Amino acid sequence: MKTLQPEDYLPRPAIIKEIITENSQIKTFVLSFANPEQNTDFSYQPGQFMMVSIPHCGEAPISFSSTPARKEMIRLSVRKAGKLTSALHELQAGAIIGLRGPYGKPFPMDYLAKRDLLFVAGGIGLAPLCSVINSCLFNPDYHGRISILYGSRTPEDIAFMGEINFWRQNPDVKCLLTVDQGTSDWHGATGVVTTLFSQTEINPEQQTAIICGPPMMIKAVISELNEMGFGDDDIITTMERHMKCGVGVCRHCHMDGKLVCVDGPVFSLRQLKELDVMEIK
Amino acid sequence: MNDKLTLKKDHLPAFLRKLSKDYRLVAPIKNRHGDTIFTRIDSSNSASLDLDNQPQNSIKQFMLPQREVLFSYHAKTETGYEFNPTDQINEPTIFFGVRSCDLSAILYMDVTFLQGITDSHYLEKRTNSVFIGLNCNQPFANCFCNATKSGPFLEFGADLQFTDIGDRFLVEVGRSKGIKIVEKWGHFFSAAEEKENKQQYQAFLEARGSFTRLVHVDQAIKRLQENSVPEKVWNQLSLRCQDCGGCAYICPTCTCFTITDCPLTKNTGERIRSWDACTFSGFTRMTGGHNPVSKKTEAIRQRFMHKLCYDVKKHGRPSCVGCGRCVDICFGGTDILRFINLACEGS
Repeated sequence: MKTLQPEDYLPRPAIIKEIITENSQIKTFVLSFANPEQNTDFSYQPGQFMMVSIPHCGEAPISFSSTPARKEMIRLSVRKAGKLTSALHELQAGAIIGLRGPYGKPFPMDYLAKRDLLFVAGGIGLAPLCSVINSCLFNPDYHGRISILYGSRTPEDIAFMGEINFWRQNPDVKCLLTVDQGTSDWHGATGVVTTLFSQTEINPEQQTAIICGPPMMIKAVISELNEMGFGDDDIITTMERHMKCGVGVCRHCHMDGKLVCVDGPVFSLRQLKELDVMEIK
Repeated sequence: MNDKLTLKKDHLPAFLRKLSKDYRLVAPIKNRHGDTIFTRIDSSNSASLDLDNQPQNSIKQFMLPQREVLFSYHAKTETGYEFNPTDQINEPTIFFGVRSCDLSAILYMDVTFLQGITDSHYLEKRTNSVFIGLNCNQPFANCFCNATKSGPFLEFGADLQFTDIGDRFLVEVGRSKGIKIVEKWGHFFSAAEEKENKQQYQAFLEARGSFTRLVHVDQAIKRLQENSVPEKVWNQLSLRCQDCGGCAYICPTCTCFTITDCPLTKNTGERIRSWDACTFSGFTRMTGGHNPVSKKTEAIRQRFMHKLCYDVKKHGRPSCVGCGRCVDICFGGTDILRFINLACEGS
């Protein structure tokens, strides 16, 4: 059981070391704690999240897009959406924000390490999956095949191109992109992300699907995966909810009796099917 | 509770005066408007102790204040951002005259804030608290603690548990904090005689038999578990709910909170924890406007499912303690009692 420290709810100052502009709405913040000792002691797993503090703006939960396997600094990818995230987007490298965590249940990495993996993401939803993908790629014991299907609204909205180019250099990784609305200079696929299923190898026996994106996308993807024969344990997603405490007390992230911050944010379809959840209703 | 003592009612004011010298003493006080409210006792109000009426508030606000500073922050320059824990002043406090429902609520708060995690802000207050309970000889008009199994008499949880047996209180001694008190002020107490024990049992039997409301909490729990509460019940209640949050604020076990920043100057501020209510539409609304609990019926359902279904599954008992305060405060008629009655209709 997690025990909060006496300073609970108290963030730790962290320095923005670098800012990567992923698209007009998404930036990746590369962070390290201001106190060097805290960097040494810090560990996390893919799927977990941090509570990010900005002066006068409160806190918001943000998933790791970095992998602990790469021994890199903490990366949090943030879409500009509200007051806090807009303020964060205004900051420059060198600025200090607050971080507390890590919180939440991670992806079942030991199980995933034995499987071929099919990642299906929409928009900012690729962020937490980056953490899983790179954890596998940097795990010397991982020998599976990875397929990544990534949908964006328009070509301009495609984020994480740095990661995508990195993955595309790897012969064991297949990464396909699609956009909802193409432009005259877009030569790639057009259509919702599920249209990419026909262009990739699907093998429910050996594959586990990991999904993250807007609720409508999650719902459509789950339904198709189920039809293609993926079992409920081999469809895994990570949920987004409004959160305040991150430690299972304030109850803002309630989901039919579960709390996304402590029971999730990672859930298998088997777990979700036992609940009344909008993403699969 | 093994040792049973008695305290003469004539000696109560002097006993409380002694306690208030060593502790902050909080008890039900009738104010000049005629309202009975848990208040700090001092020399100006000690004569207004009111053990005859149900306090309008519970002691939740002393353990989880409506507004509580978690820490202060200082954004010094563009590159500085410091967080400083605020000194918590938690005086040793005795809560006197706490009814069984409200004490049961504290036991629930313990589970919420101290099981699995340790919420230090709660723990500090909890560690500094002594509870002197008062069994209810006469349930109030909207009480149904018998149906939620949290009263009218409490068998554990208090440091000292008082029962009114006429011209004196029978006093059961609970945990070490209670033992400390009766040892220190032993001259106020006498050993209880067999007759007085019997009087207490008689009072319990009478109290148990004098509830005016017949409330089928177990039946409502069963219906929620079976998902067999008719849709029209949720619809009716959601139309009636005025979204005031009164039920959650007055409820001794509603502990949902929000955390916000309160700027004090351009560069400084405080992070505040304050009460929230799951029935508010903003409770689950995410940045960008998307809301997984978009309908009022779903918010109302969450409220009653949490109290009567999720907590039963998780902790083995509902988190409604039957105090009836939401019945008193809800002007829309969306209180838990109405829900239970509607949910049980036709069964």
